[in-house]
Amino acid sequence: MKYKLSIFLIILLSLDIFFSLQALPQTKENSMPTSDSKNLTLFHAVMCEEVKKHVPRNPAIVFSITIGKVFCYTSFDPVPKKTFIYHNWLYRDKISTKIKLNLKPPRWTTYSRIQLREADKGPWRMEITDNKGNILRVLRFSITD
Amino acid sequence: MDNLLIFLTSIRWQDIVDIILVSYILFRLYILFQGTYVFRVLIGIALLVFFQRIAVFLELIITSWAIQGITAVAALIIIVVFRNEIRNVLQARKLKAILWGFSIKTAHTPIDIVVESVFELARRHTGALIVFPGKEDLSETVQSGIPWRGLLSKEMIMSIFWHDNPVHDGAIIVQGDQITQVGVILPLSMRQNLPSYYGTRHRAAAGLAETTDALVIVVSEERGNVVVAKGFSTNIINRKEELSQILLEHVGVTKEEWGYLRKEKIQIGMAALVSILIITGVWFSFTRGVDTLIALEIPVEYMNRDPGMEILDTSANTVRLNLSGSGTLIKSIRPEQVQVKLDLSKAVVGLNTFTITQADIALPPGIFLKGVQPSLVEVNLDIPIKKELPIQLDWAGKLPEHLILAEAKLDTDKIEVVGGTRILKNISTIYTKKIPLDKIKKTGTITIGLAINPASIKIAPGSKKKITVNYVVKRRHKG
Repeated sequence: MKYKLSIFLIILLSLDIFFSLQALPQTKENSMPTSDSKNLTLFHAVMCEEVKKHVPRNPAIVFSITIGKVFCYTSFDPVPKKTFIYHNWLYRDKISTKIKLNLKPPRWTTYSRIQLREADKGPWRMEITDNKGNILRVLRFSITD
Repeated sequence: MDNLLIFLTSIRWQDIVDIILVSYILFRLYILFQGTYVFRVLIGIALLVFFQRIAVFLELIITSWAIQGITAVAALIIIVVFRNEIRNVLQARKLKAILWGFSIKTAHTPIDIVVESVFELARRHTGALIVFPGKEDLSETVQSGIPWRGLLSKEMIMSIFWHDNPVHDGAIIVQGDQITQVGVILPLSMRQNLPSYYGTRHRAAAGLAETTDALVIVVSEERGNVVVAKGFSTNIINRKEELSQILLEHVGVTKEEWGYLRKEKIQIGMAALVSILIITGVWFSFTRGVDTLIALEIPVEYMNRDPGMEILDTSANTVRLNLSGSGTLIKSIRPEQVQVKLDLSKAVVGLNTFTITQADIALPPGIFLKGVQPSLVEVNLDIPIKKELPIQLDWAGKLPEHLILAEAKLDTDKIEVVGGTRILKNISTIYTKKIPLDKIKKTGTITIGLAINPASIKIAPGSKKKITVNYVVKRRHKG
């Protein structure tokens, strides 16, 4: 079990480096990962077309409605204690959906997704908050034709 | 009875002043121009206007059109043709005389002197022609008069008509107790039924009497008789008493001085009364004529706003006013005469509701407000502030299937905007204008403007109005 976890973490780290080069956040507000060894730290967050085997695929800032769904992938390291976070999906500054996700120590990867409809075209914002509502990161993306 | 009461209460003090002022102007016009041709023509024009109104009322299209045309031309003609007469009236009098003076005759013709002189001239067979004007002005009818302005006396008359006097062949004009002109040439009568022995002097007397209201005395040089011409009649006068009576009647002087003055005063009083009646009638036709309704779309002016606040939006920028009044007044309304002004001095931050009342609406006199739509206006006020907001790219269109837009970096990711507190409170992002994806094939740069919404928000001075975007395009991973 420990062996599998080590492999997973190595893959995760290498993918993270890869994706951090590919999908740099759009704004400065999410350019620096939240890092504090004692506190819950958001290690990596990205919008992507798919999460396969805990790995985000095709991270981007624009998604065609034809792909049917969009994912928000988040990875926390460390997770000091059992807690939860929120993925707030906002369409044009208005909250569209708020998804509660559980985190467990010592580190945790989780994601949420929404199903796309024709009316969802336009600018979106993803606010990742802790259980007290503090914004950990903001991701901005668009849904297009 | 109720209608009468409503009518009386609807009359404003301005209406009374209006009627009195214009009546006085009409009355003064009568005083200044009475007895002149101008006055006659003015009466003619007034009658034309009156008939035109009747023609309009009876819906006689051609008649009203024709009278209207004639009236317009006549008004022009009166100024051109009678310009000298109008100038004489206005120039010859002082301002006080124009505004206030009355032309009551104070100097009366000394009838006895005239009668004695005339019969003395007749006895001596000295020809003479003496004109006593009536109320009409003779300046357009007679010619070549030499101004004299001498006090009337028997000796004066005798010397003017003395054979060797250069002006003895012309007529003299007597006004009051003065001989105003001598050597005057009178128009000759063209009548065929005058006695054959009438010479030029008699024909001249008849000519003037026919065309004006003047009385003319002729002393025949050959026959030594006295003839009086007035209107279309010429009579030989044999007795002094008879001539005296005719002159008394013509100049309007009775032996009792007070009687003459009384007649003048009554005449002036009647003129004043008629002026008031005419103007009151005109005022009624203008202001209380056929009631006409009109609806006007008028912009609302918001006044006295606190300088620290700004209007974010209003429920109405214009209101529809339903107005009533006489057709003439309604037709003459100009847009700038109707104003709707809402006082915002007591308005507070947020939504304010105002009821538009009569006090908020300025209307020209004689126009009445029937209704306002909408009667309630909502005004949203706010205090302007500055706020820094993040910029988000608004992509549109479709990328080629094999590509993904992996990243985009902005040269500035925040912008400062100015707007109302309450509006900005609910805004957390400023979006760019739509950025088309269709032509994007590879990594590149684009400059794009910002889509500021709502319009009340402005980009703060010094902030960028356009941003530059560096975007990264990558190939899509399949499978």
